[in-house]
Amino acid sequence: MRSPLLKSILWCLTALTVFVSCNKDDDEKQETKNEVYVIMTMSQNVLTKPGYTSAFTTKPTGTISNIGDGTLQGQGMGGWRPYNNWLFKMFNTSANEKGIERLTVSSTGVVSSGGFIKTNNTINGSGNFVIQNETSGFYWDADKPYMIQRFNPTTLSRTGEWNFESNIKKTDAGINNQSIGQHFLAVKNGKLFADIHYGKNTAAQSGMFDDFFSGIFVAVIDIATGNFEKVIEYDETGGITYINDNEMFSFDTNGDLYIVTQGRSAIGGKSKLLRIKANETNFDNWEINMDDIMTGGKFVNVMVDNGTIYTTIPTESLTGGPTGNINFSEIWDFYTINPTTKVRTKINNIPLSTNSGGAYGIQKLDGKIVLRVNAPSKNINGYYELNSAGTSATQLFNVSEGGSVSGIYKITIQ
Amino acid sequence: MQYKILHTFLLLTGVVGLNETVHAQNKDTSKVQVLENVVIEAKSASQRTAEQNVKISVVNTREVQEQAATLTELINRSPGIRIRQSGGLGSGTDISVNGFQGKAIRYLKDGIPVDYLRDGFNIASLPLNTLERVEIYKGVLPISIGTDALGGAVNLVSRRSANQQLSTSYEIASFNTHRYTLNGYYTDDAKKWFASVDFFYNYSDNDYKAKVKVTDPVTSNQQYDRVRLFHNAFNNVYGEVSGGVTNRKWADELKISVTAFNLNREQNYPALMTDPYGAVKGKQSSIVPTLRYKKSFFNNKLFIDQFLVHNVVNVQRIDTLSGRYDWYGNFYPVPGRIGESRQAALSDIDYTNTTSRTFIKYQLNANHVIEINNVYTDLQQKGTDPYGPKLDGTGTSIISIPAGYKKLVTGIGLSSKFLDGAFETLVMFKNYHYQSSGIEAWQSRIITENDQVKQSGNNFGVGGAIKYNIHKYSFVRFSAELANRLPDQEEIFGDALWTVPNFSLKPERSLNINLGYRLSNEKNNSFEVNAFYRRTEDLILLIPIQAPYAQYQNIENVKGFGMEADGVYHFSKVLSANANFTWQDIRLFNINSSTDQWQNNARLRNTPYFFANAGLNAKFQHLFKQNDALKLYSYYSFVREYYLETIPKRLEPGGFLGLFGKSTVNTELIIPDQHFLSAGINYAPLRNLLTMGFEVKNILNKDLYDNYRVQKAGRSFHFKVVYTIQSKNK
Repeated sequence: MRSPLLKSILWCLTALTVFVSCNKDDDEKQETKNEVYVIMTMSQNVLTKPGYTSAFTTKPTGTISNIGDGTLQGQGMGGWRPYNNWLFKMFNTSANEKGIERLTVSSTGVVSSGGFIKTNNTINGSGNFVIQNETSGFYWDADKPYMIQRFNPTTLSRTGEWNFESNIKKTDAGINNQSIGQHFLAVKNGKLFADIHYGKNTAAQSGMFDDFFSGIFVAVIDIATGNFEKVIEYDETGGITYINDNEMFSFDTNGDLYIVTQGRSAIGGKSKLLRIKANETNFDNWEINMDDIMTGGKFVNVMVDNGTIYTTIPTESLTGGPTGNINFSEIWDFYTINPTTKVRTKINNIPLSTNSGGAYGIQKLDGKIVLRVNAPSKNINGYYELNSAGTSATQLFNVSEGGSVSGIYKITIQ
Repeated sequence: MQYKILHTFLLLTGVVGLNETVHAQNKDTSKVQVLENVVIEAKSASQRTAEQNVKISVVNTREVQEQAATLTELINRSPGIRIRQSGGLGSGTDISVNGFQGKAIRYLKDGIPVDYLRDGFNIASLPLNTLERVEIYKGVLPISIGTDALGGAVNLVSRRSANQQLSTSYEIASFNTHRYTLNGYYTDDAKKWFASVDFFYNYSDNDYKAKVKVTDPVTSNQQYDRVRLFHNAFNNVYGEVSGGVTNRKWADELKISVTAFNLNREQNYPALMTDPYGAVKGKQSSIVPTLRYKKSFFNNKLFIDQFLVHNVVNVQRIDTLSGRYDWYGNFYPVPGRIGESRQAALSDIDYTNTTSRTFIKYQLNANHVIEINNVYTDLQQKGTDPYGPKLDGTGTSIISIPAGYKKLVTGIGLSSKFLDGAFETLVMFKNYHYQSSGIEAWQSRIITENDQVKQSGNNFGVGGAIKYNIHKYSFVRFSAELANRLPDQEEIFGDALWTVPNFSLKPERSLNINLGYRLSNEKNNSFEVNAFYRRTEDLILLIPIQAPYAQYQNIENVKGFGMEADGVYHFSKVLSANANFTWQDIRLFNINSSTDQWQNNARLRNTPYFFANAGLNAKFQHLFKQNDALKLYSYYSFVREYYLETIPKRLEPGGFLGLFGKSTVNTELIIPDQHFLSAGINYAPLRNLLTMGFEVKNILNKDLYDNYRVQKAGRSFHFKVVYTIQSKNK
């Protein structure tokens, strides 16, 4: 009996040793990965969006400054669209020009602007992009409104274009601008989903809450062939997603795609959350209408994870104008919504925030969901971390220097 | 015993001026005395103006009229002043005086706010030969400058003559630049009536080479290239014909003038040189009748100066191209697009202006003068633009809705002399009142006539100045003012495009204090040093509110101090040198938002804080023949790099006064160190009759930037001829 027992003990010890050793090796590998947390802040609420981006070697806690050695100061610091270890944004650092720019972080933590694809610089939505993989991506350039531009994210260079003018062009009187992919570009199961917009406005206002029809249209394009397969539409809404770095759509863990529509005007009205199921190419018969939640409100954020929707909901009707509350008033509350029951639950212990605008209001960081909060009246400007139950949040860190936070992301320096 | 009397009269190029200040002051000092040996010490109007008890710089344009310098270059050679220009001849300017910028500085023509002429009479395009001098008031404005400027004013004094004169000039320069002026004045022998003409014409292709980022048509990546600007031409023609009577029982002067101007400006790029435009244009034109009446009463104790103008300025903007250009001038059609810029336009807007300025001066006794100035302005705006924003649901163009703005600025001041003129003081009070009406038309809602909004405001200001004449060649002066600047029409009503109305704007308020010392000698050597302090609250800035709209709002508070020094030294009758520098430390304060408190004590962004100038002049007379004159000159200008956006004080460049090193922040948003060197030669074979000049600007061919990513011209060559005929003094 003793022998097998001893043998078992020895095996266990050996296994434990190996296990511990492996863990140690893994830890060492982790330590040599050179991961950094990159934070972006906007120093002024002006159109050029000046601000700062800094890299931190450890996860920020407490009160931090976002301006230090190696910090990049520039324009277009209102948000970004990270992809794996890349930080992309739709406005360049040197002059807030529209396009696709990549930020790089050196091994010494110096942030700088990398490559840049230039697009039309006057029409909002120019530079709206989506990345399929490390060598394939798609974007819209207002200089070629009926086309989808293709690019290589690794070289950050344009590689070609698809022309869909014959597929989408309409001649209705009153349509003053038309586009494909100006607001919404998403890749799902080998298909490119691109919004088709028919708008009433001209020039820089083109595509800005000016839907000509009573609903929205999305083209489904086969990426492998470039074939324009079909148009799907959803009525009684408008303003699909938006035209800056916060792309306002999110894939659930199971592949379901949730899409924000901001509604019929800049201050809402028929603003909805829509869904395309994982293996579908048509809109699901499912919606959440902001009008049922807050009259005069709208959706501006969505993040979906493990079957739970995370979003912001205003506490009062939105207003514009000199004293309008939409952007800089602390009126945005954080909620979870069960997509099946549509029951929404307010997240506790987190203050009301200003509008996150081009920044992600809700995102994942180190496997946790973090929430961007800018509440000057409460001296809060940073991120909160959601508890595992999804019911309450605690402050992760506060930024005291650099302006209002507009992004945090972890990358591994290659 | 030797008596010296300080006579004050114009002694510039042998012409006696008639400007009102001199006119009045001649009377002030006309004492009858018994003289033995008389030494006449003449001071020019420019010198007299520069020695007022308020802080002022005077740029004597007539003295350098033969030079091919532009007005902005000339003004930039003065301490405390920086004019930044966004391109070539006729491009937009932004003036900074002791840290005040933009609308805090008002422009005047002969003491009258010049808004009624818009860009027709603008420092960006005014030839030197049309002006007598430029007076730059810093911080505190005298009563005679009847406007609501916050931090200073630029008074453009028209060329004057007491006798018959005809002067013409022509300049030809690089970039197909041509500038022509004609100034004539005729009066009868008895000086009972007069007629005059002032005319100028400017043209330039402004097609200099600029370093811009060009986009590869295949990859859409960018790289720098030096390209020649191709849609950047500017031309304007300006003419003013005047006639009137003088020396009548009922009028010292009654002058009726009709001015007409027309201006065309191509726009090759937006605010920055980021995108090429190939067809965007702007136009302005107006016919401007004015009346001016001057009369002294009661044995010259009471003096009245009345000015009146009513005119309509038509402003057009054209941007209707269906396509785009690249930096090489190639055109690419864009389906469905109208306009190259953010806003397609075919706007046609009339600005109807009425301005009345009344200046009254009463000599209480030999030592006390009371002055009252009243400026009333009424501005109405109405126009059309088929591509402009429309009221939601109505189809009504926003620009077609009339908007009005009325402003009344009244000042009263007492100027006194004490201790036999050793002390000169000025105490003044000002009242600012404005009234505006219009429709808050930008929100997405149905607008009716019932939505008319009216807004009014009333503010007071107070100021004073003391000057102590230490001796004949030196003085100390101190001035302080609590000033207000009323929001102007655009700030309240917006531009009917993307700048939306704000009817709740408050006036900007500022406390300005100046202290200066000046020393000169009989050889015209001089040294002057000035220090200033300012504390400005509710600074009005353009802020975006809801994309794509922006709005003027009371945002920032700034305070700070600075100093400037200026010296002129004549090594001999032939050679002289001048130099000056300005350093200012203007910083943000009282920022309460927790998100932005870190900006407290940061330097005011996009504002030069150190700049310096140096010049060397040589003048040779009777060189080749009797009465000829040869002048050689060279000027160097330096501006220390400054930052476009706010950086914390702890990360500012170090060294003495922040003049050395760089911020450790990695940024491209810098306006780099600027070195501008120019040199020229003038030859006058017949003094005061014909002058020929040649000048090279930007000799070092540096990439110069007044504004972030807006490059100015490289090396350029200028040739100028001035021909003047004038009768002798009668």
